[in-house]
Order: sequence, then structure tokens, then C-alpha cells
Amino acid sequence: MGALSGFQALSRRRFFRVTLGVGVSVGAATGGLLAMRGGAPDVAGLRVLSAHAYRTLEALATALFPPGGPIPQGAAGMDLARAFDGFLADEPAHHRRDLSRALFWLEYGPVLYERRAKTFSRLRDDERLAHFDSWATSQSLLRRQVALAFRKFLSVVFYDRPEIWPHLGYDGPLFGDRSGK
Amino acid sequence: MSGAIVDLSRAPQGDLTVECCVVGSGAGGATAAWELTRAGHEVLVVEEGGDYTGFQLTGRDGAMYDQLYMERGGRATSDLAITILQGRVLGGGPVINAADVVPMPASVARHWQTKFGLADFSPEALAPFEAAALADLSANVPEEKQINANNAALREGAQQLGLRHEIMMHDRVGCIGTGTCLIGCPINSKRNTRFVAIPAALDAGARFFLRARVTRIEEAGAEVKKLTLRTLDAKGYREERTLTVRAKIVVLAANAVASAQLLLRSGVGNAHVGKNLMLQPQLPVTAFFDREIRFFRGIPQAAAVTEYERLDDPEHGFWGFRIEAIAGTPGIVASLLPKLGLPGKEVMSRYAHMAAALLLVPDGPNGVVRVDRAGNPLVDYAMPDEQKQRYRDAIKAAARVYFAAGARSVQVPYARPLLLTSERELDRVDAIGFEPATAPFLSAHQQGGIRFAPSPKDGGASPEGLVYGTRDVFVLDSSGFPSSASSHTMAPIMTVSRMLARRIAARKGG
Repeated sequence: MGALSGFQALSRRRFFRVTLGVGVSVGAATGGLLAMRGGAPDVAGLRVLSAHAYRTLEALATALFPPGGPIPQGAAGMDLARAFDGFLADEPAHHRRDLSRALFWLEYGPVLYERRAKTFSRLRDDERLAHFDSWATSQSLLRRQVALAFRKFLSVVFYDRPEIWPHLGYDGPLFGDRSGK
Repeated sequence: MSGAIVDLSRAPQGDLTVECCVVGSGAGGATAAWELTRAGHEVLVVEEGGDYTGFQLTGRDGAMYDQLYMERGGRATSDLAITILQGRVLGGGPVINAADVVPMPASVARHWQTKFGLADFSPEALAPFEAAALADLSANVPEEKQINANNAALREGAQQLGLRHEIMMHDRVGCIGTGTCLIGCPINSKRNTRFVAIPAALDAGARFFLRARVTRIEEAGAEVKKLTLRTLDAKGYREERTLTVRAKIVVLAANAVASAQLLLRSGVGNAHVGKNLMLQPQLPVTAFFDREIRFFRGIPQAAAVTEYERLDDPEHGFWGFRIEAIAGTPGIVASLLPKLGLPGKEVMSRYAHMAAALLLVPDGPNGVVRVDRAGNPLVDYAMPDEQKQRYRDAIKAAARVYFAAGARSVQVPYARPLLLTSERELDRVDAIGFEPATAPFLSAHQQGGIRFAPSPKDGGASPEGLVYGTRDVFVLDSSGFPSSASSHTMAPIMTVSRMLARRIAARKGG
């Protein structure tokens, strides 16, 4: 379910590892950064993602797809992060490692780039959306890549759900699978 | 030897020796397998993907991209600027393409003769093989009743502006308009490799191994080559067992990226291998109408504005740009649109009123295939300013066409979303810089990487398809094309593959 996300190419960026290393080092030097994100509740049944990574991704999904507007449903309760966990579990080990690191980096984005005292999942939905938008239009190629890859993946998963289709005027595939899976 | 399709994830096989091993089962590989088998050669085809036909093609984005496309739909250039769409299924790209049949223009063949020294690629020499390809594909022009509102809108705008346009031939027979061509046809209406060349090759005795990846070619200069295969699990996610195949003739037809990747990771071929890659990147644009369009039903891609393409550019052959209608299922369409949050939902709520086009811009040899230490492909691509300007020109042209057809607005899917509401706003397009990972470029027609050339000084393979520095290792897919063959490569690949495969068969006493 990588559907156009480009995660595989993202993971192969050599400097990806380097940049993340810098971010982590900064955190260690200033102290307390890890504590800033707080604890994350345990999530049963995850195959790959940590509870913190799951929380970051759920926070992103609910910001990208809030409830209301012309499509009443939002991502909250759809467990899109678990879909990513399932995808990631079937990827090679280095992809799993790098994409988990990308989520770690995104969590600390507001601290590193906006000098905020809150990590990503502790922001309000509208603040998270604005922060994520800043990644999509960033001067940093790597931040744009991370934004692009996660946006594509979550968009495919959200809009591939049959309960969304009536609000689009789409009546589903003529044949095949119309289930909610 | 009787023909068979064997899924190695379910039916493990031992090491074996065959006369000819074909890597890849798409337009090039299936055609070559058919030709070689019916000439009396013993042929084994190795394919990474599984076999998906009929109602196994569920019409669902996530599951189908996962199973029908290379790297689960996630293959992209190293900078993530261009998604590389490559089939990974029995039948290859034709199973998941838009079914367009656009033969190589005669002017392109002449360009290959004069600029690249490919004397044997004259329009006259290619003609019988092209005719055979069109017959295989049951090539036909869609009936007027099959032109849906999405294609009609593009055609209407072109007509209003007096622009040259066409309805492209396709390979569908008995199409009922499911609209999910890009994730496979559930009623098998595409008369492509999966339903023509592969059954014919099976009848003639070819064997097909599925869920197997060729990871290395050794002893490429010897009479008998050694190929290392890694079998995959049932979903194609993980490598499992190792298998050795020995073959006198090896035919690479795994796509322009994957064929070069295999040579590079094997250390086979000269310094041109991996160079001169063309991606022909396409950029989607969307238009919004008051009336319902419902582009998700019917043939997704039939109408094309051809006013701006040049088929006989002295430097490049096929050049300029085309505008072609396109459609997609909700997940994929949403993934290509830039807006998120409530504004994103607002855009998607008008899905049924959306029209869409792909801006197809033929490119020069701007790409390079490399491999990392594990043998994975890395595709580097540098888009020149001249090419970026053609995208800007194409956006403006498409917007004019849609406004002439009555569109309310035209959206350019850029990281900073650009919504045009009238022609007066077209100057805003000039500000688009196309920095990497800011626009959803797609590549469906990869070409080059092992360029055909009369001398190893100028290319990776001879005009007969023989990979330089090897004995009887041939490349019969789009890897050899020295410039863009066409706006749609299925028919040209089948044409060239058949021509070169017949020559191999004749030389090898088939």
C-alpha cells in the first residue's frame, strides 16, 4: 500500500540518516527534549510502530482529515496509523527503521524549526496542519520529501474507504471489493 | 517441454538449465518469449509479480497498487520528485496502463537512423512488426458512445480553440467502462500481453516463473550464463530461497530501470549502462465544472490535444508536449492534490465535477540509473529549465482548453496550491519553480538506460539488442530506445521486441 508515496526512495536518501542524527544530537545537547513529548499510551497489536510513532501519525492523520465540512467523517477513529503500521511491517528492515525515524523527526519539528515548547502531537489540529504545510513548502528538500510521502500515503488510505465515497459522488468499483477494509 | 505458469511462492523449483531465459513478462518480454518459443527455442520467463486477472482486480487503490506496481507503487526518483510507475505483474505494464496504442511515428524512426546510426530501424523495416503489434492489441478507435464527459470536455475545448486533437487508439474490446484501467481491468477487456502473447507462448511451450527476482547474471561472456533467482513470498514482499538458472540466451525485458539495474548489480556491460534514461514525466492538472463529469466511469484516457507536439524535431525527434485526459480512483486523485484539512475535503467533495488531464512532456536523456550496495536501484533525474518551461506552457494551454470548455476553475497541483479562475490569471503559472518534491510528476514511459548504438563507444547495446561485452545477453524492452519513441510506449516496445527477437531466433537456428 505504498501507492505513489515514494517511501522507498525516501528511505534511500543517504543524508536522511545524517540529518536525523543532527536532530537527535541537538535534542541531547539541550536536554529534556525526549521528555517534552511526554508518554504515549500503549496501543495493542502494533506490528512495528512504537506507541510514540503511532501517536505522531494519528496526530498527523487527524490534522490532515479533520471532521466536518462537506465530508462529515474525519480520520479520528479510522486508525489510519495502524494501516501504516501494517504497510511498514512488510517493508525491508532499513525502510522500517528510516520511516520510524521520520516520524520521530516530525514529532520534534515544532521544537526544532518553530522554537515551540510543544512537540507535534501536542499541538492543536490547526497548528499541526499549519506546521505540516510548512514542511511541504520548506526550503529543505528532505522536509518536503517527508511531507509528500506521508501526505500521499494517508490520502490514499483515507479516500479509499467506502464510507467516504458517497460524499464524493463516487459509487465505488463496479466489480470487486466494496468492503471497508 | 510443455508450457506452464508456476508461482514459485507456492511451488518451489530446483536449479535448472534452459536454452533461453527472458527476464520480465511485459510488452517486451512476453512478445520476445512468444517469438522465440514459436521459432522452436526452449524459453523460461521470470516475473517478479503474481498473476492477477478478472475479479482478482478489486478496483481498490491500496491493495492493487501494492500488488500490481513495482515497490508497491512507491518507486520514485532519488529526490522523490517523480513517481516511477512500473508494472510488477504477469503481463507487465500493459496490465496497468491506460490501454493507449500510439505507434512510433515514422519521423522518430528516421531520427533514430540519422542521429543515432540505427540503420535497421527504418519505418519500412519496422512496418510489418508494427502491424503485428497492432493486430495483437486489437488496436481500435473507441466508439463515440465510449467517449465520456472527461474526454469530451478536453476535446470540446480544443475544438472551441481550433487546436489539433485526436481520439487515440486503444486495446480494449468489450469495454463496459469500469474506469479502473490503471489498477487492472476486472472484465479482462484489455487485449494486451496477458491475453495474447502469454497464452500464445504457453501454447508453444514457454514456462513462466512468477514471484521470482533475477538478482545477478554471471559468466555473461560464456556460452552458458548463470542467473541467480531469489524467490519471493506470496505477496512479493520478501525474498525467500535461491535458485540458479543456466541459459545460453538471456533476454532482458524488465523495464528501462530494472534491466539496467540488473546489469549494474551484476557488473555486466559497459559504462553506458544506466545512462541516458528518459522518464517522460507527466504532470496532472484538474478542472472543475458546474456540470457532473464523473470521470471515474468510462475510458479514462482517449482524447489528446496534439497541437503542441512535434514529431520531427531535428534535435530530439518527438518533442513539445501533449495534453491527454486522465482519471483516477479517489485515493489516487486525493494523493495528487495539494490541499489538506477542510480545504482538501472541499476539493475532493467536487470529485464528480472534476475533469483531469496529464501534461505529457517528452524529455531528453536526463536520467541515470545507479544501484546501492544492496543492489537496489537509485534513479537520479535532473530536469532542465527548458523542460520546466514546457510544463508551464502546457499548464497554460490546458487551462485555456478547459476554460473554453466551460470550466469554472483549473487547479495546478503544486505545493503552494494554484487555483486559476480565468485566463487573466495564467501569468501566475510563471512563478512555479518545480523544485523537487513540490509537484506530483508521474513517469509511466521509462525509456533508455541501455541505449542501442552501432558502437560500444556510444551505447550499451548493439542495434540487434546485444549487450556490449556479453555473449548472447540481449535487451528487448524500451531500454534501448535512444529517444522518446512515442507518447505511449507499449506498441513501440512490442514492435521492436518482435523485430529483434525474430533476428535472434533466425541467427540461433530457430
